[in-house]
Parts: sequence; C-alpha cells; structure tokens
Amino acid sequence: MNRKLMVLSKYVAFARISATHGRYDRSELYGRMAFFVVILGVFSSLWGATREAGLAIVADPKSLVWYLASTEWILLSAPLMHVDVQEALRRGDVAYEVGRPVSYVGATFAQGLGFVGSRSPLLAATAFLCAFAFTGWVPPWRALAAVVLFGSVAIALLTALHLAIGLVAFWIGEVTPVFWVWQKLLFVFGGLMLPIRLYPPIMQRLAAFTPFPDILAGPASFVLDGEAVAGRVLAVRLAMWCVATTAVVQWLYTRARRALTVNGG
Amino acid sequence: MRPFRNSVRFAAALLATNLKASLRLRGAFAMQVIFMALNNFTFFVFWWVLMRRVPEIRGWRLADIELLFGIVAVAVGLAITVAGGVRYLGQFIEQGELDTLLVQPPPVLLHAVGMRSQSSGFGDMVSGLILIALSGQVSWIDTPRVVVAAVAAALVFAASGILFFSVAFWLGKSDTVARQMWELVITFSLYPEPLFGGVLRLVLFTLIPAAWVGYMPAHIARHASVGQLLLLASAAAGYLGVAAVVFQRGLRRYASGSRFGVFG
Repeated sequence: MNRKLMVLSKYVAFARISATHGRYDRSELYGRMAFFVVILGVFSSLWGATREAGLAIVADPKSLVWYLASTEWILLSAPLMHVDVQEALRRGDVAYEVGRPVSYVGATFAQGLGFVGSRSPLLAATAFLCAFAFTGWVPPWRALAAVVLFGSVAIALLTALHLAIGLVAFWIGEVTPVFWVWQKLLFVFGGLMLPIRLYPPIMQRLAAFTPFPDILAGPASFVLDGEAVAGRVLAVRLAMWCVATTAVVQWLYTRARRALTVNGG
Repeated sequence: MRPFRNSVRFAAALLATNLKASLRLRGAFAMQVIFMALNNFTFFVFWWVLMRRVPEIRGWRLADIELLFGIVAVAVGLAITVAGGVRYLGQFIEQGELDTLLVQPPPVLLHAVGMRSQSSGFGDMVSGLILIALSGQVSWIDTPRVVVAAVAAALVFAASGILFFSVAFWLGKSDTVARQMWELVITFSLYPEPLFGGVLRLVLFTLIPAAWVGYMPAHIARHASVGQLLLLASAAAGYLGVAAVVFQRGLRRYASGSRFGVFG
C-alpha cells in the first residue's frame, strides 16, 4: 500500500510543479479570458439576431450562450500536451526522461492535469460571469453542477488525447497538421458552437461513433432545456472513451519507446 | 526616389527567397496548404448548418458570409505569406534579435516583416478564393475590385499586427497579448457587421480594425463607388503609416541583445 502511495506521490509532485508554473505564467490565461468575453459577446448578439428573425433554433438563446460557455470552457481548459511532447522530442529531452524511475507518459499526463487544476477553475469562473453578464440568467444549479462534473472528466480525457497525438511525433516529427485535423473534427462533431441536434442526420450519425460529442456537447447539453443526455449514459460513454484512450496511449508509448531505442534517441 | 526603388527591389527579392525556401520542402508545403484550407472550410460548417435553419440574419445571407469569409481568408493569407515576420516582431524586439537588421542597409521594418513567410498562407488564399467563387456575389468583371479590396484588407491586417507587436518596445514581454489582439482582428472580422453596435462598432473601425479587414472590403468587392474605394485605400495607407511611425519611435527605445545566434 505504501509503495503504491509512494508511486502516486511522484505523479502528484509532477502535477503540483506544473500547477505552480501555470499560476506563475498568466499571460496566456488572461488572453483566454479575454477570448471568452469576446466570443460570448458575439454569440449572445448572434442568437439575439436569430430570435429577431422569428426563428427559434432549438433552444432559448440564453441557454445557447451558456452552452457555448460550457463547450469553450472544456476546450480552453485542456492543455496542448502534443506541443510539449513534440518539443521534448525535438530537443532530445525524451532520451533522458524515459530513463527516470517514473513513466514518461504518466508524468506528462500528471503535468497536464496540474496545469488543468490551475487554469480550469479560473476559466470556469470567467465563463460563468460572462455568460451571466450577457444573458442575465443562470441555469439551474443542478445543471451547472453536472456540467462541472462531466466537463472535468472530459477535460482530463481531452488532455490524454492531446498526449496521444503528441506521441505520434515519435514517427512523424511534426504533429501540428494531425492536431489541426483532430481539432476541426472536435469542433464539428463535438458540437462546439451548435448543439448536435441541429446538424444534418448523416453528420449526427457519424458523430455518434466518435468521442467528440461526449467531450463537448454531452457535458454542455445539461444547460439546454430538455436537451441533456442522461447522466448515466454520458458517464458510461466517457468511462469507455477513457479506457480506450488509456489503451491507445499505452500502446503508442510502448511502440514509441522501441523506436527510440532502435534509433538511439 | 532611389531609396524607395531599392526598398521595393529588396522586398521582391526577399519574397522570392521566402517562396523558394517554402517550396523546397514540397511535402510540408503541400500539407500546410491543404490543412489550412480544410481548417477554414471546417469553420464554415457552423454557418452552413445555422443558415440552413435561419436563412437571413439582419439582412445577411449565406452568400454574403461566404464572400466575407473569402475576402478575410485571402487578406490574412496574403499578409502572412508576404509579411510573415509580423507574427515574430514581438519576439525579435524582446529578445534583441533586431541587432543584425540594424546594421544592414534595407529598412529595418521591411526586412523584419518580410523575413518569415508562412506556407499556410497559401491555404488561406486558396480557400478564400474558393469561398468567394462559391458566394456567387462577384463575377469576372469584378476581379480588379476584389483584388484591391483583398490587398487593402491585407495591408490593414499587417499594419495592425505591427502596431500590436511594437508595444514590446515599451512593455517588454507582451508577445502573447499582442498575438491574441491580432487574432481578435480575425475573430471580429468573420462575423456579420450588424451584430455589433455602439462603442464596440467604433472600436472595430479604430483600435481593432476588423471592419477594414472584413466588412468594408467585402462590401466594396460586391459593389462600390470610387469614393468607397478611395476610403478603403486611405484607411490602408493610414494604418500602414501609423504602424511605421510607431515602429520607428519604438526603435529609438530598442535595447540591443548581447547574445550570439543565427538569424533568418
């Protein structure tokens, strides 16, 4: 038991150091906060304009602003781990990091979670305040609690998926194009700006086979009246994607380490 | 007149060198172009889905938004291809990397902004041209007007970048904030003009010149009087002039770096 705790404490230390870095370097955080103000302002105006056009989209414009605040919070809270992995590989840091008495992917993921811990609450507060300022309305507290709970799991899953993309750099070097494609698929099939129900049926069916709707639209849909997926279903689907992502990361890392040994680091 | 001619020849040579360098790695170049074009089309999916249900938003139809997106994409692509160094200006200033440029004959600003061409700019331009064509708002006869509108928008966009990144002369490390301000110009320019009113509208025509990058050029590309064309050209020249003056003022405060390195 003590041994397990000791192992865990190493990763907690990685997370704490990363959280401290996150708290120190705030310029990017302020930029993300400013982005929240802008994007929620633009969209509250856009949804107001669509209501003026006399066409109800799918939900009340106010809840659509809260929906966007929730999806953006999840998206902006997840650190871009693929950049860290790619840079570590480019600089050659990976060669000595794999030799440490900790798992490289475990430590990198812990650093990601530490970063999330320092940024996510501030971004959530910004999202809440901005959405309230632009709508003058607050969704039921139970709905907000569900967004925070499932959103936090989704952020951790997204962080792990970014890490998986980063590991691809062991073979192709530059993973930015891979990330672009991934990010665009997340925007479209995740329902970043619009609930999935508004999409053409073929896109809705395709989205159901991917983790994207469970990462963004699922947690955010709790603020939409009558749109929320059942909490239990979302929990099961998120757990399933977490297990699948862990397996993929582990598989990629095992193969990557072999490639690193063969190539000499 | 002679220094001006020399500067133009230098800028052309710099652009040609940048293009050759980009095209040398053909695979990476093609990848950047394709993915940036895909990136832009993916963003447009939102409008496509929304306007299937709401055909008109304050007088704007899907075709109008396609034209707006197209003009902004071409302008941004042009700016980051020809003046890709704007994005790194804050870094150059903060880390003392302008030293090598200061001892060379070409104008420092021209050299700095023309140094790093971004291959992804071609993807922006390709996707922008496709969106303009899809909009059906302009015909072949309108081509010169579209070109003038896109070039003016690119000049305003590059000038705003020079202004934001030049803040580093006074504030030091401000690269992240400047980059986000520059991105705000793109963000605001991609939404229909009637969504913004009051003080924000004034800001979009002045401090964050999204109106001169998006709505005005898109309006002029569709139908414009000579007066409107002159107004847009004046705005572009004005922003560029202010950016050059601010950069030159800032250069007086520039503190040289002392490290050795390779620059280019």
